Amino acid sequence: MARTVADIADFTPIFVRYDVKIAPKKRGAADVSTDPVLQAIARGVVEGDEDAVSEATDKALASKGPEAVIDTLIAGMREVSKLWDDGVYYLPQVILSSDALMVGLTKAEDAMGGKATKKGTVVMHCAHGDIHDIGKNIAAALIRANGFKVIDLGSDVPEDTVVKAVKENKAHLVTGTALMTTTMSAFAKIADMLKKEGIELPFVCGGGAVSEEYVTSFDMGVYADQAKDGPAFAADAASGMSWQDMRAKWNLVV
Amino acid sequence: MPKYTSMAYKSWDEMIFGSAPKPVSIGLGPIELGKKYVYPQIVPHPRPGSEATKEKILREYQRMTDDALGRCVALGFPGLVIEFEHIYQITSQPEWAGAIFAQAKEQMKEYYDKYGLKSALVSTVADLRKPDMVHMRHSQELDWMLASFDSTAAQGADVLSIETMGGKEVFDYAVQRQDIKGVIFGIGVLSSRDMEWLWPQIVATAKKHGITPGGDTDCARGNTAMFLAGGYTATDLPHTFAALARACSAARSLVAYEQGATGPSKDCAYEDPIIKAITGIPITMEGVASACAHSEMQSNIVAAVVDLWSNEAVEYHDMFGGSSVEVFTEILGYNVAQMNAAIELGTAKELQAINIASDKYRDVHGFMLSPDNAYEIGKAIVANADSYYLRSRAAVLRTAELIAGDKKLTLTEHEREALDKARREVEALPDNEGDFVDMCLSEYKKVPGFDPTSYGY
Repeated sequence: MARTVADIADFTPIFVRYDVKIAPKKRGAADVSTDPVLQAIARGVVEGDEDAVSEATDKALASKGPEAVIDTLIAGMREVSKLWDDGVYYLPQVILSSDALMVGLTKAEDAMGGKATKKGTVVMHCAHGDIHDIGKNIAAALIRANGFKVIDLGSDVPEDTVVKAVKENKAHLVTGTALMTTTMSAFAKIADMLKKEGIELPFVCGGGAVSEEYVTSFDMGVYADQAKDGPAFAADAASGMSWQDMRAKWNLVV
Repeated sequence: MPKYTSMAYKSWDEMIFGSAPKPVSIGLGPIELGKKYVYPQIVPHPRPGSEATKEKILREYQRMTDDALGRCVALGFPGLVIEFEHIYQITSQPEWAGAIFAQAKEQMKEYYDKYGLKSALVSTVADLRKPDMVHMRHSQELDWMLASFDSTAAQGADVLSIETMGGKEVFDYAVQRQDIKGVIFGIGVLSSRDMEWLWPQIVATAKKHGITPGGDTDCARGNTAMFLAGGYTATDLPHTFAALARACSAARSLVAYEQGATGPSKDCAYEDPIIKAITGIPITMEGVASACAHSEMQSNIVAAVVDLWSNEAVEYHDMFGGSSVEVFTEILGYNVAQMNAAIELGTAKELQAINIASDKYRDVHGFMLSPDNAYEIGKAIVANADSYYLRSRAAVLRTAELIAGDKKLTLTEHEREALDKARREVEALPDNEGDFVDMCLSEYKKVPGFDPTSYGY
């Protein structure tokens, strides 16, 4: 009988390293443009290199329209998403790519003299009394990088502030996150206040101890399990999908 | 206050669950921690909606407390620690906080008088200071926290603890970008400085009421990294990077004990095996019974040197076996019965070996918290005692070295690259705290809401 862990040669009866079994082969991103200047922008996004994106964007804007730059930035980000989906990239690489994309986007928008057309508007907040916002911040970065306008209200946000922001920004989607079950009750209040204002939109909630059972117990609530699904939720809402259809798609409807 | 410059043990092999060189006595009985015995600790959490009124929340806590104590008596458990981790509505209303603790203590006295059931009550005040929203040293939130420490200490708490939030703004920014420099700055420097400022006030309150200043946890940062790293299929953060963040957590959580805390430590401080190796205080750990609150990859190995065995938090609900509080009190009670039986049989080291074998090579987090490695990381910390930065940096480098140097610990290519990259970056950092801080203050001024004056800069 083995006496200590040092005497064990084979751990597979104790645990199986599935991460080693499924580890993807390292690969790079596909090129998104045959134009070397535009490809340099995309490469900068893929590598999460703000300086490279900045330099390449300046170069591109000297000879091309800002729309071409924006299209390239988004195409680069699409490649980043593929790498993440395949397990080649982890979240930090995606966040760094998102930072780099924003550098290029800001320059392109300045050149346009205004904001680029967004796919939709998302109001995001962390529940009143709750200060745990890293999940919301990750989702915001991903949604923004996918071409949506994000109104980030921050943490510990009073219910009426959320309702006001939804109204003023004509939001397609509102999101709420909470770590504590005792703060998530604010979500049902917000849904009720929106209803009284005659507003109906998908209200995606998630985080920590927030449960699907609770979120689907009030009108408009759609439960989200992962911050990485944020862009997909935003796309559904911007396409005009109702909260009922989104709930049917994303949640277990009993 | 003096810093730890030596280890509490001559070697890691002296470390064992249930025993600590600096035992602590708390509560009714009393509960003696670190004296060849492991106690269970239940952390009940109120249901959503119960926070609506003072009457409702009192009723909720009354039922949860009675369930926990009642199950102990029903099954013959000798003692129990109950921790109330405040929800926002409790810390922000110190009068509610006091009433909840007074009620629970009264119930514990009844069980002690009637059955002789030993018990103690931990008050973990919620740190409501979100660093990017309020000033860490001057805010309404801070006033509420200090008042809640005082009201709970006055009305029944036996131990005061907290999960402080210092450095969270810089840490969150850095961890999302896998930036080890920012992690060292957020945890190792900013959080340590915040604790150095806050903890003397907590210790003073505990002394004023004749109770015990417990400990602090790097939950807001170290556990964020650990949860982002997740299980084998997650791709949010490399596990090796999360382990390096945890090394910083140990250098940081040590500050509480340097400022007068005596333990028991806070349960969700996974860095505690390193803390115990350095300080010799009794530690609280959460392992397999905390699956009700979150998943983790080192549920058994963290029992190797535990003194108070906890469950993180369980929301109050009905289950087939009773209320969730009854069920988890039972699980914890039987867990520690097994540990205490091993102590009685003289087989504690064998049980420790089983727990180590279960998880040491399952994941890097369990690997670094294995007592042998925890001890080595502790040595790196005490050898660099004079600087919060340097001891954090040393802990990171030693952890990286241990991970890279053990052939039984398999790493994927991505994990190894993340480790090597972080190691290179840390090796290139300045050799003195002043230069490092100057560099970080300049770089992280871009972090929204980061206010250096919150940390005395």
